[in-house]
Amino acid sequence: MAKLIKTEDQLKYQSTMTRRESLKWLGVLSASALLPSIIGCEINDKTVSVASTTGNAVKGHWPALKLTPISAKGYGKDPSMIIPPKSAWPKTLTAEQLTLVAVLADILVPRDGDVPSATEVNVPDVVDEWVSSPYASQQKDRLTILSALAWFDEEAKLRFGHSFINLSVQQQLEIIDDIAYQKDDLTAEFEQINKAFSRLRKLVLAAFFCSPEGTKDLGYLGNVAIAGDYPGPTDEAMLHLNQVLDELGLSL
Amino acid sequence: MKDFNYEVVVVGSGAGGAMAAYTLAKAGHKVLMLEAGRDYDPKTETPMFKTNAQAPLMGAGNVDKDFGFYDATVDGGWTVPNEPYTTGEKSDFMWWRARMLGGRTNHWGRYSLRFSEHDFKGKTRDGLGADWPFEYDELAPWYDKTEALVGICGTNTGLDDMPDSGEGILQPPPKARVPELLVAAAAKKLGIASAPMHRAVLTRPKDDRQACFYATPCGHGCSIGAAFQTTTSLIPMAKATGNLKIITDAMVRSVDVDKSGKVNALTYVDKKTGNDIQLSAKVIILAASACESARLLLNSKNEHHPHGLANSSLQVGKNLMDSTGTGLGAHIPALENRPIYNEDGHTANHLFIPWWGHKQHAKGELDFPRGYHFEINSGFSAPGSGVSGNLQGYGKELKEQAKKYYGAGVYLSLRGEMLPNKNCYMEIDDKVKDKWGIPVVKFHWQWAEHELKQVEHGLKTAKAILENMGATFSQPLPNAEKAILKGGQIIHEVGSTRMGASAKDSVTNQYGQTWDCKNVFVMDAGVFASNPHKNCTLTIMTLAMRNATWLAAQLSSGEL
Repeated sequence: MAKLIKTEDQLKYQSTMTRRESLKWLGVLSASALLPSIIGCEINDKTVSVASTTGNAVKGHWPALKLTPISAKGYGKDPSMIIPPKSAWPKTLTAEQLTLVAVLADILVPRDGDVPSATEVNVPDVVDEWVSSPYASQQKDRLTILSALAWFDEEAKLRFGHSFINLSVQQQLEIIDDIAYQKDDLTAEFEQINKAFSRLRKLVLAAFFCSPEGTKDLGYLGNVAIAGDYPGPTDEAMLHLNQVLDELGLSL
Repeated sequence: MKDFNYEVVVVGSGAGGAMAAYTLAKAGHKVLMLEAGRDYDPKTETPMFKTNAQAPLMGAGNVDKDFGFYDATVDGGWTVPNEPYTTGEKSDFMWWRARMLGGRTNHWGRYSLRFSEHDFKGKTRDGLGADWPFEYDELAPWYDKTEALVGICGTNTGLDDMPDSGEGILQPPPKARVPELLVAAAAKKLGIASAPMHRAVLTRPKDDRQACFYATPCGHGCSIGAAFQTTTSLIPMAKATGNLKIITDAMVRSVDVDKSGKVNALTYVDKKTGNDIQLSAKVIILAASACESARLLLNSKNEHHPHGLANSSLQVGKNLMDSTGTGLGAHIPALENRPIYNEDGHTANHLFIPWWGHKQHAKGELDFPRGYHFEINSGFSAPGSGVSGNLQGYGKELKEQAKKYYGAGVYLSLRGEMLPNKNCYMEIDDKVKDKWGIPVVKFHWQWAEHELKQVEHGLKTAKAILENMGATFSQPLPNAEKAILKGGQIIHEVGSTRMGASAKDSVTNQYGQTWDCKNVFVMDAGVFASNPHKNCTLTIMTLAMRNATWLAAQLSSGEL
């Protein structure tokens, strides 16, 4: 199972991978230690002004990332669907980014009794695959999500003097609580991160629900062969429908 | 093919081409089929039971796989590498192509609704578009034969827009699901009936094909043959007669004539070598899809046929139609947290809303001339790359919201009839060639008032149905010009080589035989004189069966 591990006081996301993938991963880790900007991501501008809804300039910050476009190729128009490509393009998140994604993913979808957390079902790997893909909508998400990641660290440093993953859970949630809700009094400085966080939230949830454990948690019961005729709604489902019809003044 | 003495060459292996080839082969005529794409075997290539988690990007669509990673389409979609098409000024048109044996039948929606009596004589009724050169009654027995061969589930409803099939022809439809029943009840309050969708999906075994086991989306293809595609049915059945041979990776460049101007050959590019190969041909059936067949005719210009082959009427490429498309969805609070059960079914509509307005049309109560239907999209679908709902917060409450929204959305998709108009046509772009050196298609497109009015009516009706289900709308409806999908986007393009009663204003006679070249037939949707809202594939196959049967008789009698 993938997890967040703490080694030498350093929090790190550890993926569940095959040996071959792990070797590759180790390679990336050691390379990233030498080259901090391996993904071609550099933060140019620490603070920018964002226009508030009233038109006044409000002090806020939003990282202006200069991202090197993904140059990898897609999987093409005739990939094998029986054995889908395991890794269709190189993943690009740094170990630090991946760990931050893991921390955020577990805030979004924490372990819930027997149901694993997002990180435990490899959601950070799916996010990494997503933002590293060469297609247009993923490239757009890449800017959104990488900007959000950078924002969380900036905000954490501004408020508490540490990067986000090194804050206490209480400190992390203090930031999250400010930005995770669409509300009328959402401070203008949080508008951009609110939108970006929404995108990350949906991506994390999608990846979680796609996993076998998440699919079970959602309750999806399909994708099984049925012998004979399709049985249709259960008695319980029909009972519920009949109540709904009554309430709405409708009849079959 | 020296040892194979073929009488007919069929260009294309999709709905029309495969049905024509099967019909001729069964009648004892030797057929050579050319397919521009690669060979394809659904038995070994279909991703049955695969989950989105096993696919890159959770199965999400992109320029490589427009309809998602598992969509059956090979080497195609909205773009085909190195085979572009162009559009005229202010023209939006999208052209879906597949480059594979079986063509687009490998991924189609399998909705199989008969056209009705209203549909063949629209012009007689309202003066618009063109009449077909026959009545519904002429086609009815051929619909029966086609439905029996293809395998269609559904029921006879007695509704005026849905002609009955012969007794015992249809297979039983699957039971309706909760959101569909709710939509039906909400529509009923408006006096609008719902009906079991007719689909080319077996609910009973047939020939070598198994009955549906109600899992794995049909758009992925179907290795068990339950969802109809020519690659698991007509093509292997035709091959089994010994009368069909197929050449794949054969992109036809031109239909060729002798010194007198009579068609006697065709030339294709062998895509594996890039070499041109000329085949002699006694009779040619074009079934390459409406726009590819028209493209081929227009590209086959010569001194005897200066406007392109079979184009003395100048109608080749004209009268291009698609279905209108739009839709409206809503979150239905009453469906939140409802009891979960397996709603996969046959993975598409069990119920739909057929067109209900023939009587209103007759009374002149509607401000648009032709009908539409609604398809119902809903259900507890397999998790994928998207999660619905305006989700807030994090943690336990976040998951609870997502579960509340799961299966509580309903989307009504409108599919309607458009009329041909002079701004919607295709021609050859003489400035652009594909990688084989073949001049490409240039599309021109502009929706007319008829379609916009229809879409406006449809959106209002959809809203009323959804409101009856308890949906609320904070935004006004979008205007029709914004809401209508692009030309071609519904993938029902038809009419580019239309049939008719006269050589003056049509390309073929009622048998798909071109007026100008007696040994050249068109058996795809190009021959449609109009484009009723009821999805074109069943009628493509029905016409191909009827017209290939007529052609077989012509061959046997020595007429051709």
